[in-house]
Amino acid sequence: MVGTLEVRELTTGYGENEVLKNISFDLKNGEMLGVIGPNGSGKSTLIKALTGVIPTWAGKIKYDGKNIEDLHRRERARKIGVVPQDTFINFPFTSWEVVMMGRNPYLGRFENPKQKDDLEVKEAMKATKTLRFKDRSVRELSGGELQRVVVARALAQEPQLIFLDEATSHLDIGHKLEIMNMVKDRAKTREIGVLSIHHNLNLAARYCDNIVLLDDGEVHATGTPEEVLTRAHLRAVYGIEAEVDKNPRDGSLYVTPVKNIDIKKEKELLVHVVCGGGSGRTILKELVDEGYEVTVGVLNVMDSDLDMAEFLDLNCVTEAPFSSINDKNKKENLRIMRDADIIISTDFAVGPGNLANLEALYQAANAGKKVLLLERKDFHERNHVGIEAERLYRDLVSQDTVESVKDSDGLLNSLAEGNI
Amino acid sequence: MIKKNTGWIIAGLTVLLLITAVYSATVGTADIPFKEVVLITLNELPLINRYVTAPEGSSRTIVVLIRLPRIALGIIAGISLSVSGTSMQGIFKNPMASPFILGVSAGGGLGAAVGFYLGLSFFYLPLLAFSTAVSTVFLVFALGRVRKKTDIATLLLAGLAMNFLMSGLTSYIRYMSPPEKMVQMQILSFMLGNLNEAAWNQIFITLPIMIVGVGLVFAYSRDLNVIQMGEESALQLGVDVERTKFVQLVTSSLLAATMVAFTGIIGFVGLMIPHGARLIVGPEHKRLIPTAALMGGIFLILCDTISRVMGDIPVGIITVLLGSPFFIYLLIRNRGDTGW
Repeated sequence: MVGTLEVRELTTGYGENEVLKNISFDLKNGEMLGVIGPNGSGKSTLIKALTGVIPTWAGKIKYDGKNIEDLHRRERARKIGVVPQDTFINFPFTSWEVVMMGRNPYLGRFENPKQKDDLEVKEAMKATKTLRFKDRSVRELSGGELQRVVVARALAQEPQLIFLDEATSHLDIGHKLEIMNMVKDRAKTREIGVLSIHHNLNLAARYCDNIVLLDDGEVHATGTPEEVLTRAHLRAVYGIEAEVDKNPRDGSLYVTPVKNIDIKKEKELLVHVVCGGGSGRTILKELVDEGYEVTVGVLNVMDSDLDMAEFLDLNCVTEAPFSSINDKNKKENLRIMRDADIIISTDFAVGPGNLANLEALYQAANAGKKVLLLERKDFHERNHVGIEAERLYRDLVSQDTVESVKDSDGLLNSLAEGNI
Repeated sequence: MIKKNTGWIIAGLTVLLLITAVYSATVGTADIPFKEVVLITLNELPLINRYVTAPEGSSRTIVVLIRLPRIALGIIAGISLSVSGTSMQGIFKNPMASPFILGVSAGGGLGAAVGFYLGLSFFYLPLLAFSTAVSTVFLVFALGRVRKKTDIATLLLAGLAMNFLMSGLTSYIRYMSPPEKMVQMQILSFMLGNLNEAAWNQIFITLPIMIVGVGLVFAYSRDLNVIQMGEESALQLGVDVERTKFVQLVTSSLLAATMVAFTGIIGFVGLMIPHGARLIVGPEHKRLIPTAALMGGIFLILCDTISRVMGDIPVGIITVLLGSPFFIYLLIRNRGDTGW
């Protein structure tokens, strides 16, 4: 079919491991299609298969009636632009240079960019409001600015299809909406088909014409947001009880995950959680269920606690994957801590990379903030830095504003009593 | 960042390279005036020699048979190592990568050590060093293949492991060789790198390899740019990632292996020059590669001139002594930001 991406019974995976089974859907030009599903349901694998990063095992992927796998990679890159979740660039390329990389599939090996290429790059940067920092190094840009540059790069490919791989999940809500609006505008004006993977169900509901809900590598449901985002589907796939309501302003759906069917009333307490490495997973969920307003930080991208924080749509200070927390993020964390009524520290493992979190806790406690330490594990078992961290922790514990609890029930009780 | 002026920068560096080369030929145990060097050099060139008369005698012998080949080898080594380093840093997306990261130096060192131990001639020794350097790299490649793809992280570790293994074996040979036979000194001199043995026949071998190698790295320069966005994104932008990695890694390893075979392990040029060049023209490889090449040539002749004045100490000592302070300066300048 002309102007349609047709995916039919697509099956693929890595090595011996089958990840996607019999996936079928259509994406028409000008349409916004959302793909949602829990972690590990195969969302990102889908984009890898659709762009030829991994081979398909069975099934067909066609665009304009032609097999996508038969296209040369350069030809494919002229049809499909991809915006990944995050991009790390080690060298100080300018924004303009990065967007110009979108013209790569149009340029021969020894060819220099021509007027037409300059024009497309300029236009893409205008559309994403990145032109004003075209000469700045991408290393100096904020997360939201860099992601807009990457969107511009995808637009410069003059694609007929754009795939967003959780492209907004590390951005704050303002930037999330900004980027989704830019893509939507472009999709409508240029008749581009957009496939976007979403972690955030509300974002999917708001921006997508149709949604594919994946569960364990298979399509669980597909259709309009009203048809897919039902309580039954969410219970079956995410294992959550959720309220699904219509936004009175624009009629879009919104989903509120709740533990019990009756939503607890909001407790007017702002809690900041310092965690990492999975130590905060359950406690974050419990705090939200109890109705506390929760902020988190600093977490590395790809930390499993961050997945939960994102799932719960919490405000979180993030650091690049596997990197040490830098000064800027540490300060940001302290700033958020100042606003919190109480700070909770889980028994996260302390390494050189996140020592800054421990320091921030100490500074906050020293400044008179209430700090609750969840100590399911002894500090020396989870300390991988040595005696300095040990001493810092001892100093932290000895502050009057600091209290230790042995488990999450104790923690919630302590919070509820508010008597520390 | 200077950008529009890249053409001027490259022209300026080319002129600087020529001036440095001629100046270097005037310096040494015998002082030969600048004008004389120019005349002798021009007289050696085909066609031009009809219009130029140059003095005969010992100056001519020194310039033509000793200094010029040494300077030429210095330029070739400087260019090869800098381009190789630029390519490695690009493929590894890491400003700390060097031409020797995949075991070229340690492999070549082992071959040379064996060669010195056996007392091989100056024809067979480079051949042996080149063979062991290349075999080491291919072993590293074989170890770095994961599911029919070259995995950069595995490759790095494989290179590290082979570097240790080969260095260990070299140390053993050094330790076991009898001190009276000068073998230890020869191995040490090779490990530090030197241009002392330069001769025209070496130029005839290394020059074509350099031209082809640098040409290949340059031909894949845009692909190298796009790979900085991540391998998956590069693929989605139409780059043949596997082929780019293969061409870049093999070419830059061969460039480095060739130079190791003839000049020993001249350190720091391939690590530091790409940084310097990046400060001037930015990270875009189409500009970066020629700039780094010329800067590498200039830097190595300067270092070798100093080494000659200091009584022919291995040039590798000078490159490290000059290079490290520059590196520390970069570190201080960029503290806090991990990018360069």
